[in-house]
Amino acid sequence: MSNSVLKQIGLFLLLVFLQVGLFNKIHLFGYATPLAYIYFIIKLPGDTNRNVVTALSAAIGLTIDLFEYTLGLNMLACIIVGFSRFYLLKLFAPRDIFESYVPSFSTFGQAMFLRYAGMMAFLLGVVLFITEAFSLFDPWTLFCRIVGSFLLTFLLIYAFENLNNVGKARR
Amino acid sequence: MKNLFSFIFRNVHWVLFTLLLSSSIVLIVNNSRLQRSKFLAAAQEVTGAIYSVTSAFYAYTNLKTTNEQMMHRIAELENQIHDFQYAEEQADNMVRTSGIDIDLSDGIYQWIPAKVINNNIAKIENYLTLNKGTLDGVAEDMGVVSASGIVGVVMSTSAHFSRVIPVLNEKFRLSCMVKNNNSFGPLVWDGGDPRYTYLTELPRHVDFEVGDTILTSGYSTIFPAGLLVGTIATFEKQKDDNYNTLKVNLFTDFSTLSNVLVVKNKYQQEQKQLENTVER
Repeated sequence: MSNSVLKQIGLFLLLVFLQVGLFNKIHLFGYATPLAYIYFIIKLPGDTNRNVVTALSAAIGLTIDLFEYTLGLNMLACIIVGFSRFYLLKLFAPRDIFESYVPSFSTFGQAMFLRYAGMMAFLLGVVLFITEAFSLFDPWTLFCRIVGSFLLTFLLIYAFENLNNVGKARR
Repeated sequence: MKNLFSFIFRNVHWVLFTLLLSSSIVLIVNNSRLQRSKFLAAAQEVTGAIYSVTSAFYAYTNLKTTNEQMMHRIAELENQIHDFQYAEEQADNMVRTSGIDIDLSDGIYQWIPAKVINNNIAKIENYLTLNKGTLDGVAEDMGVVSASGIVGVVMSTSAHFSRVIPVLNEKFRLSCMVKNNNSFGPLVWDGGDPRYTYLTELPRHVDFEVGDTILTSGYSTIFPAGLLVGTIATFEKQKDDNYNTLKVNLFTDFSTLSNVLVVKNKYQQEQKQLENTVER
């Protein structure tokens, strides 16, 4: 138990550091920025209490906001994604798992996990960029930002998950 | 009553969700006011320290030292230029009103070299972080310039770091003028391409030429007049509007911004106070 909590804390810190130190500096074609910190919410154990998931999502969003000076923006998007996770898990998690599990390729199967993670990443991008664009509406830019960032984030999650599996196979 | 409690208890996740969601909305709405708060200044110390680490990682060590030496030299020279300009002005005044003794050694503007340790250009509201704070003499509402042109205005400070609202932020407004005919208006960014910004509210009857230089007007206590801003990129005469708008090609390249100077106006407080009392 405590081991998995430590792992989660480690993942939280690592993702925040990567996001503010590296991924926030990436603006592919001026639009696409990977939102890698969503991986933290994706990888929370499946049996985590719903309230804890929402609160943790708010925490990682607010942490990113503190670094980006956009108070509330990432927090709002993360809260919505974290809250919806319960329903997405119902949709995508295999029905025959009874013990506690961490969403991954091995527990979900590759196709299902990618669908689940993709939905999460897409939702985050949609909420985040629509909220950001509230004061300044330009549909085309908004569309480019959402799609570009979603694709990059999706690729990153795929890469993370493969890295994870390689690590497990070696062990 | 019992039913109510059991209802709330069953839906406690909705309650938490709504609570968190509304607090995040409150944060977003109050964003610009919060950014000057004490709490965020404390957070800024921590985030700034981490950004110092990452920016050290990004910068090439040798380029860094030579650049810094250069910026110090520029700061010195800029100080000297302004001292001389001030002295000349005072000498002129003295000729006119002879007999009054004024201290010639002091310039109005001082320049503090600083380094950009965090920078964003892809969003609609971008901010910069500098590695100089109140301990180095940086305060709110000071201007920030790079070697090539203006950068922005300091919006909040902590002991060792300060946060700058750059030209590339749709909340940024600065009075600028066209060099050739001295017509002026506010400089506003549209949230699009980080290479361009817009000079707005220019009189309709005046013609402008592509390539003309845009300078700061000096109609504020933040920047001295005549600092470089950019050149006119395109100009189209408006038919149905009372004002003209120019697309301005910025001199400062924000994507590679590293070394900057903070402009300190010694009499900013005094001028502001005076202007406030007059307005009242």
